[in-house]
Amino acid sequence: MKRQEPLFRIVKRDTARPGQQILAYVAAVAIALVIGALMLLSLGVDPLDFYKRIITLGIPDSKFPARIVENFIKLFVPLLLTSLALALAFKMRFWNIGGEGQFIMGAILASVAALKLGGTLPKPLMILVMALCGMVGGGLYGVFVAALKVRFNTNETLLTLMLNYVALYLLRFFGETAGEWNFFLDPASPRPKFIKFPENARMITFDLGGFQLNLSLIIAIALCVLIFVYLKYTKQGYEVAVVGDSPNTARYAGMKVSRIVVRTIFMSAALIGLAGAFSVSSAGILSASVTNNVGWTGIVVAWLAKLNTVGIVVSSLLITVLQFGCQNASTTFASIDANFADLIQGIILFAVLAADFFTRFQVVRTKSTKEVSK
Amino acid sequence: MKKFLAMILAGVMALSLAACGPKDAPEGSASSNPPAGSTPVADDDFKVGAIYITSQSDVAGYTFQHHTGITTAMKNLGLDVDKQLLVVDNVKDDDDTAIANAIDTLAGQGADIIFGISFGYIDAMADKAEEYPEIIFSHGTGFKANDTNFNNYFGRIYQARYLTGVAAGLKSLEMGNNYIGYVAAWNTEYAETCSGINAFTLGAQSANPDAVVHVNKISTWGDENLERQAAQALVDTYNVGVIAQHCDSAQPQLVAAENNIFGCGYNSDMTEQAPNNHLTAAIWHWDVYYQTAIQAAMDCAGDASKFVEKMGGNAYYAGLAENFVDASPLNTIVAAPNTEEIMDAVRELIVSGDWDVFSGVKLSYKVGDDGKVEIIKTDADLKDNQGNVIVAAGEGSVEDGVIKGSMNYNVEGVDAPQA
Repeated sequence: MKRQEPLFRIVKRDTARPGQQILAYVAAVAIALVIGALMLLSLGVDPLDFYKRIITLGIPDSKFPARIVENFIKLFVPLLLTSLALALAFKMRFWNIGGEGQFIMGAILASVAALKLGGTLPKPLMILVMALCGMVGGGLYGVFVAALKVRFNTNETLLTLMLNYVALYLLRFFGETAGEWNFFLDPASPRPKFIKFPENARMITFDLGGFQLNLSLIIAIALCVLIFVYLKYTKQGYEVAVVGDSPNTARYAGMKVSRIVVRTIFMSAALIGLAGAFSVSSAGILSASVTNNVGWTGIVVAWLAKLNTVGIVVSSLLITVLQFGCQNASTTFASIDANFADLIQGIILFAVLAADFFTRFQVVRTKSTKEVSK
Repeated sequence: MKKFLAMILAGVMALSLAACGPKDAPEGSASSNPPAGSTPVADDDFKVGAIYITSQSDVAGYTFQHHTGITTAMKNLGLDVDKQLLVVDNVKDDDDTAIANAIDTLAGQGADIIFGISFGYIDAMADKAEEYPEIIFSHGTGFKANDTNFNNYFGRIYQARYLTGVAAGLKSLEMGNNYIGYVAAWNTEYAETCSGINAFTLGAQSANPDAVVHVNKISTWGDENLERQAAQALVDTYNVGVIAQHCDSAQPQLVAAENNIFGCGYNSDMTEQAPNNHLTAAIWHWDVYYQTAIQAAMDCAGDASKFVEKMGGNAYYAGLAENFVDASPLNTIVAAPNTEEIMDAVRELIVSGDWDVFSGVKLSYKVGDDGKVEIIKTDADLKDNQGNVIVAAGEGSVEDGVIKGSMNYNVEGVDAPQA
């Protein structure tokens, strides 16, 4: 009996040269830009002008260039930290899809600290307490899943995914339920609305000649260096790699796999919670859209960077430019709305991910492989 | 394959070079020109910013009406909508972070005046007006303002609602069904919503003294599903014959059409959506305000702090007399006889300034054999539906501050579940 075989198969490429890969990325972006250009032309918008505004973020014509950079940083830091943290979990082949939830839990707990301790602590201490609360909030939310995994071998992809929605609806509950107990809300507003943090719970900034440098950027960069060193040069970092490659090998080598998993996931989720704390502190208020989808975007960033720390810095920077630039560019054209800006981003990301796929795999016609096997 | 990619790359690089070349040149020369001229903000450089609650691509509803108002005003003033209008759309009005980001985006892209159209933008706009004293902020439907660069704007939509109430009341009289439904975003939480419900009810009662207005509140400014459900519930519970609305979409009018009853829309003329059922809608002519405001902003010539002074105050409040609000053209095929004549007479009375809705004088109508309408004025207490007298018989209208800010009750004839 002849076995029915599909016409095409996907085969891993033997060699993937880095030069080839970069070329493929560039080509993918180019193709996406051409598709986007055709769509822009159909709406009567000059694509070159549009793209120029994405890349420059609209800074050259702006009356407030410093503010644009400040806002860019507010968007960039949470994505960078979250991608970094997710990569840490992915390295261990722990599929943490729960970035959104951990981010929200960090943000909520940091807000509790801000609103409850608000006026009582000096600013630096207050920010530190918020950061710690954020780390505990995110960390515990993540470690819960890690503990279930090592104890009962549950599926972490499903659990982290579902816990995202638990966190999201908890946040919405706090944001929409008026009541005496609900200190998250502004009592002066007739309809439910989050209340602003007291002044000393707002992120520390350094004035550099009119430009307010956000402290969280400095901390995020320091954390990048720290994680890079941790993964590359410490025993614990090595353990993460071994557990990721083969848990059994790790076990034979005498590593306590459960402990490594729980420890690493706590770090990963705590970092994401920290991003949440920084985010609400920079905004000075809690918000239902606090995550800005970094829990999802961070996954894309981590994979585009092949989980490489330096790569994550670069790709999260590029993706933030794309997001922030698209938003700014779409603002300046009356015929482009927010949805179209999302669409352009989607096309570019999709093309890049496809390029990534085709540099690592190739599609082979089944017939030819059969002949080879004969 | 490599060759192909290389060719694409070369092509892209050529394109991007072209992008830098000719584009930069005219911009450079443009920015060097204005200082030579006398006015700091030339009309060509003036940028209008807007924050919308739904999409600028909408084809009906609240955002659509504002967008149409802004673009119409800009065209009338000779501004180029494609180049001089900056829009951030889909900005939720209960999310201060998103609103602040939208304002930062508009400021960064060079907006000289920023319009925020939804009530919930109020706090973020007040904060940002302080943060950016060089930009003008103008907030629709709100009450906050300062003495320099931040005002609010709203209109006497209750006057238009009274007119639509007259049409609904006459229709209910003709149908012999005194029950009228009203899908409301909110009720006594906001003066904006309860003044609308009250004005509509008073209008309906002027035509049909026995009319009762049943209010169904959805607790959000717009949600098509909830609007639909609320309208259908009014039909199912009270067997209403006319459905009015204060919410964003035309769903209540579609429900009226499905049930073969009648309706009064809001924001835009909804006769298009329900041609055989819609009577008339309370509508805004936002361009009237936007044109005034943009002109005033350009007159500031770069000094945003003069805006409030140029506008003659920090709270713009206009009505039927200024043609800022109106009832949309009556759908005469479905309206009760003489509706148009009576509405015209009432409109004339309100425009004349001799009478206003929330006063101690009630109107009723007598139509002569020649079709001439006589408005009969009767002194009567204006009471809330708990029996408290708000305005004693014969007294004049309540103050604007009440209608805009402190009204928090329903008048007699309104049946609303207590919040």
